[in-house]
Amino acid sequence: MTWYLTRRVGQALAVIIGVMILTFILLHMEPGNVARAVLGLKATPARVAIFDDTYGLNKPLYAQFLLYMKQLLQGNLGISYQLQQPVSGLIAQRLPRDALLLGLSTLLALIVGVPTGIYQATHHNQLVDDVTAGTWFTLYSAPDFLEAFLLIALLCVQFHVFQPNFPGGITSVGGVLADWRALVLPVFVLSINSVANFSQYARSTAIQVLASDYIRVARAKGLPRRLVLTRHVLRNSLLPVITLLGLSLPGIVAGAVIAESVFNFPGMGLLFWQSALSHDFPVMLGATLIIGIATVIGNLMADIAYGIMDPRIRHVRN
Amino acid sequence: MRKTRRMAAAAAIVSLATLAAACGSVGAKVGGGGSAVSGKKTRGGVVTIAEVGASPNFIFPYAPSTNSDGYNVNLTMGLWPSLVYSGDGGKSIVNPQESLFSSLTYSHHDSVITMVLKPWKWSDGTAITSRDFTFTYNLLKVNYKNWIDYTQGLFPTDVTKVLTPNAHTVVLDLNRSYNPAFYTDDVLSTIVLLPQHAWDKTSLTGKVGNFDETTAGAKAVYTFLQKQGGDMGTFDSNPLWKVVYGPWKLGTFNSSGYYSWLPNKNYSGPDKPVISEAIWTPFTTDTAEMNTLRSNTSIDLGTLPLNDVHQVGALNSEGYTVADLPTAGVAEIVPNLYNPTNGPMLRQLYIRQVLEYLINRPQIVSKVYAGYADPGNGPVSVLYGKQWDSPLEKAGGPYPYSPAKAIALLKAHGWKVVPGGVSTCAHAGTGTGDCGTGVSAGQPLRFQLLYTSGITSFDQQNAAIQSSEEAAGVKIVLKAEPFNTIVATTATCNASSHPASTCAWQLQDYGYNPYFLDPSGAGLFNTDGYGNYGGYSSPEENRLIDATEYGSSTSAFFAYENYTAQQLPVLWLPDASFLYVYKKNLAGITPWDPFSGTLNPEVWYYTKPGS
Repeated sequence: MTWYLTRRVGQALAVIIGVMILTFILLHMEPGNVARAVLGLKATPARVAIFDDTYGLNKPLYAQFLLYMKQLLQGNLGISYQLQQPVSGLIAQRLPRDALLLGLSTLLALIVGVPTGIYQATHHNQLVDDVTAGTWFTLYSAPDFLEAFLLIALLCVQFHVFQPNFPGGITSVGGVLADWRALVLPVFVLSINSVANFSQYARSTAIQVLASDYIRVARAKGLPRRLVLTRHVLRNSLLPVITLLGLSLPGIVAGAVIAESVFNFPGMGLLFWQSALSHDFPVMLGATLIIGIATVIGNLMADIAYGIMDPRIRHVRN
Repeated sequence: MRKTRRMAAAAAIVSLATLAAACGSVGAKVGGGGSAVSGKKTRGGVVTIAEVGASPNFIFPYAPSTNSDGYNVNLTMGLWPSLVYSGDGGKSIVNPQESLFSSLTYSHHDSVITMVLKPWKWSDGTAITSRDFTFTYNLLKVNYKNWIDYTQGLFPTDVTKVLTPNAHTVVLDLNRSYNPAFYTDDVLSTIVLLPQHAWDKTSLTGKVGNFDETTAGAKAVYTFLQKQGGDMGTFDSNPLWKVVYGPWKLGTFNSSGYYSWLPNKNYSGPDKPVISEAIWTPFTTDTAEMNTLRSNTSIDLGTLPLNDVHQVGALNSEGYTVADLPTAGVAEIVPNLYNPTNGPMLRQLYIRQVLEYLINRPQIVSKVYAGYADPGNGPVSVLYGKQWDSPLEKAGGPYPYSPAKAIALLKAHGWKVVPGGVSTCAHAGTGTGDCGTGVSAGQPLRFQLLYTSGITSFDQQNAAIQSSEEAAGVKIVLKAEPFNTIVATTATCNASSHPASTCAWQLQDYGYNPYFLDPSGAGLFNTDGYGNYGGYSSPEENRLIDATEYGSSTSAFFAYENYTAQQLPVLWLPDASFLYVYKKNLAGITPWDPFSGTLNPEVWYYTKPGS
């Protein structure tokens, strides 16, 4: 297991460095002048020259990359061209809030989705299965911004049950939690699509598991249905869900542009989107690095979880 | 969008119009002064202001050349207003009460300015003196290249000598004569005085000295102040920023863009704050802001996107009043006179006239902007008033919508006109009745119009232009791009420099150019103007602009304005207003001042029912 982990971490580092190089090259291939994009109407030749000199944009590309890597090794992600703040600070401010928002929505989706999927599997091809699947697919098909607007119109504008936005100025996770009423709608909206994912994956796996010989044996031995479902079916149905969870980690740190826009939740998604529009390379590189790391960690954690959940995988690796 | 964020947030209202909201209709303005606020004036109360996409990140009033964040002025102007305060109750004049000077005299053929400062005080009780002016000047003289608002050739590089005969008098010797109106309105209004007694040092713990009097010292002080000015974590705690002379001081600030102003109890000026606090709260998008307004949860004043003008009725029922804020600027389509393909066509005045004749500006104002836009008759908005608006502009400008005149012009210049199709040049050549220099036979009247994406009203406006241009066979191909992409991928093109890589654009519409108090064309339409992107060049234009900038004739401005309106260095467009919504019991909001560079909560107050 140690060798396996060492190998995987090594691969992960190689992937992250590869992502950084590729992103750096792609960003600098983008047409247009960075200084002009950032300075806008104030981009006189003199100011463009100062801008390029300040950020090293007048150096050869390889020199810029080496400078960036040197900064990176010192824990410095650079300064945002547009926001004029350290990128690490911008990310540190937004990432925990996004992790909370998307983590809670993923957790909610998991809590609702997996039991629902297993319940559907146990009622395979019955009316309740069809109705539940139809409901999830309908919600899954609806754009999340539409669901958000409908819920806001109903619960905020019409009945004033919840507030439609996060109050400006909340910079900490504690602040977000303190205003929990503002958290309800975005968590709910963000979880809707994931519920469909989790439930349908859990359902299809559970159907296969329920048809397995060892389940029949367990049932034949007289094991109560509840124990069969919780000890055998649930555990074995979780493997695809683990894959989904691993893949969702980069999404959790990447933020959710739509929800951030509609619910006034300044997070990584909007930060990345706005930096892409304004050629804010340091922010894009920093965000890509974080997302890359999250992708690698998500996959690694999924692999480890497979081994824990399924002894067969562990033995094959050994 | 070309609208600078400074202007977007600083915009204020000249004439208000309440919307016909009771029935949800928004088609017509009624009245001219917003809703009348009745009730008894009360002291105190907090006003929460929504700012969309706002993120001030610099507090020192002189931001570096790499920082173009226009929201910074929203943060700082209430703390350190300009030496010359622009706008007075919506009028495009200098505000004598709010300005720091008590007199401003031009002499020696308008090349020497004598300024007497009012006996005002900094918030720590120290008198504002002429030494504060020399401190400011000394810093800028050495560091002007690293000041984002420096304009080539103007303050401080046009100052040859500064004298301070006494503690309240400053005499500026300039390197040439200037038009006093231009210099006062557009140059002195960019200067903010700095407190020498508190800021003339090179470290937080260091002692205040006269460091600014040497070049090295001025560099060190400016570097120190700029470094502190960018440290967002200490904006509300750094002792430097507690020394102000405006009506407000900074209460709280966090890097998300949330901040508050508290009354400066030692403010010497006339409008002392009535409310107890003004809070700026950030919103990620106007959608999020609109949801909050509709829920009536926390905003006392915010903006209303023109796309949401149909929400006026609902907002009224939620307790809000809506008012429009004309824009102090000029909206335009910039033609690239040096585009490799269409540049020769666009250099022909008659082609630009055809394009302008085919823009149905009144229709755009009424249908796209629901009446909330300047008609765009020429280079100066009608909001500027009689001293700036020439009779020609007031009468609708030289090129009112007229497809017939456009078709006649084309036929007179040898074009085969195909209404609804694409007209082509039938008689190439340079003689009378020919298409003109550089236009080849068979060349189609086809242009690509590049415009800022993401704004519905822009989409509608440019679709309307595309449609109306077809009446004379002018084919407009629309292409929408984000503002930053447009400015990054296009460049200024002119006779001396028009590389194909950055001059492929033909027509551009990315919003509007903001003006200072004096709506001068300097920088926009003169040959070497920094904002002259399309390469328009005319000796007569340069002469007329120079006359407004350096001459003293009061008729010079109208001469410049009329010539520019007729010559079409750009195509004139309607300039959309901003719509603001505010709580019905909040008074003093109107008339807005669109020129001061910020909101003015010092004149706001809440009312409660009563007489």
